Amino acid sequence: MVLKEVCDALVPQTAPFSFMIETKAAGHGDRPGPTERHRVRLVTRTTALRGAEVAAGVVFTLLFFQEFLQFSLFDPYLWAIYGPIFLAGLNGTVRYILLVIPISVVLGFFLGWARISRHRTLVWPVTMFIDFFRGMPPLILVIFAFLFGDNLIPQAIKDRLLSGIPLRVVSVTAAALAIAFHSAAYQAEIFRAGFQSVPKGQLEAAQALGMRSWQAMRFVVLPQTFRLSLPPLGNELAVVIKDTSLLAAVAGGEIVSRSQNFAGTLSIFGYPVEWLFAIWTAVAIAYFVATFSVTRILLVLERRFHTPGLEAVSI
Amino acid sequence: MIRVEGIHKYFGTLHVLRGISLNVAKGEAVVVIGPSGSGKSTLLRCINLLVEPDEGRVFIEDTQVNRPEVRREWVREQVGMVFQSFNLFTHLTAMQNVMLGLTQVKGIPKDEAAAKARQLLARVGLAVKENSYPAELSGGQQQRVAIARALAMDPKAMLFDEPTSALDPEYIREVLDVMTALAREGMTMIVVTHEMGFASNVASRILFVDAGVVIEEGTPEEVFHHPKQERTRSFVGKILR
Repeated sequence: MVLKEVCDALVPQTAPFSFMIETKAAGHGDRPGPTERHRVRLVTRTTALRGAEVAAGVVFTLLFFQEFLQFSLFDPYLWAIYGPIFLAGLNGTVRYILLVIPISVVLGFFLGWARISRHRTLVWPVTMFIDFFRGMPPLILVIFAFLFGDNLIPQAIKDRLLSGIPLRVVSVTAAALAIAFHSAAYQAEIFRAGFQSVPKGQLEAAQALGMRSWQAMRFVVLPQTFRLSLPPLGNELAVVIKDTSLLAAVAGGEIVSRSQNFAGTLSIFGYPVEWLFAIWTAVAIAYFVATFSVTRILLVLERRFHTPGLEAVSI
Repeated sequence: MIRVEGIHKYFGTLHVLRGISLNVAKGEAVVVIGPSGSGKSTLLRCINLLVEPDEGRVFIEDTQVNRPEVRREWVREQVGMVFQSFNLFTHLTAMQNVMLGLTQVKGIPKDEAAAKARQLLARVGLAVKENSYPAELSGGQQQRVAIARALAMDPKAMLFDEPTSALDPEYIREVLDVMTALAREGMTMIVVTHEMGFASNVASRILFVDAGVVIEEGTPEEVFHHPKQERTRSFVGKILR
């Protein structure tokens, strides 16, 4: 097959993805033997081949729909009108992502840490927070936060900090925070698991050297928690990126709500109905690119901080 | 050097240590033997206060250390500890493992700490492994790094908690050799082990502990070959055979 030959040519002899493949030669400092190297090379080629197949599949699918459903993803007339809307929506979505991800990661980290605290008074409110936000569908959270979020802010803060800001913006931001809290609850569990996977002996060894408990935390436990939490964290970040689309329920001004509005006007202005396919395909691709880049960034981090003996199962 | 007076320890309702006393002179190597669950590990942990004794007193160089006003971190700096499961810091190389206590606890500059770490790794025969992570080392090599890590703090005494029990037989020798050399250099040591050869050659005294009390105490010759107590006799009979 031509495709396979192309892939063979493209894949260098030293496997670039070999870090993703579980090698049998772990421990004792052994380098992989010839059999192992051969296996890694085979798996790598197969992986590259699959990647190429997926890409080809996407292209063929698009062409197929283009041919039979006559949708016009590449219609310049469509993009002349929808382009600015798409970009404004993309801008909104990226802003929400940039708001939600840092808040959820930081909050999730501290919640996860508090969850395993020795102080009981800290544990139960945190557990309640996590249980509540994990148990609520994010869509319901978004709607509630939008409707009532404004009422939860103390009047003093509103007067001082939010005086010039329109109520709509405050409400939509509250809805975005609801998504961040929802994800933070999941991330808290990821970090808790990360903390708990660091063996007790590590802390004991640090103490036995005379380290204070914050030093043992900072130099021994946290670096390991961080490495163990990266793979599941990547998974959760992909979820939270897609969850920002739920802000369409409160007309958040992100890509889904803007595209929805535009799609609703197609028949009124007499635009071709086939544009519907094009619009939603463009939105789908935008989300795919966003989640794909974030998970790739996490993968690069994972590779960068890779330590023998500290591998977590990658999803 | 190290003196323990009548310590008791309870884990819930379990009475693990029932009034153990122990006196270790400077430069002495004392080996503690006894059946599993007899409280040997807890005894060691009470000395560097990883476990707080419920009753009794622990002295290091005539200072009672199990008092609230004595900083636990200071006590642990004085007494190095080597664990059964090595407990090397997984995310750090052999060298970084040895350096961490120096830079963080002693506040020694990085380059000085690195020089000292190199010297200690050479001393345990692992100079070539300074950049290896624990997972890339054999059990015996890991345990030697752990010994180097404890020695880096310049401890006044060393506690060894079954340092060879988790090792494959072929790696036991290299760890015992390092410990023997250390004892010959005059390090004060308390070693929990079942390595009878090591105990006979190195120990100045053997302590047989069972059910949280010292049953018998004496030279290796006395305890291994002429035990006075029936319980010692039956235990020694099991491990010597």
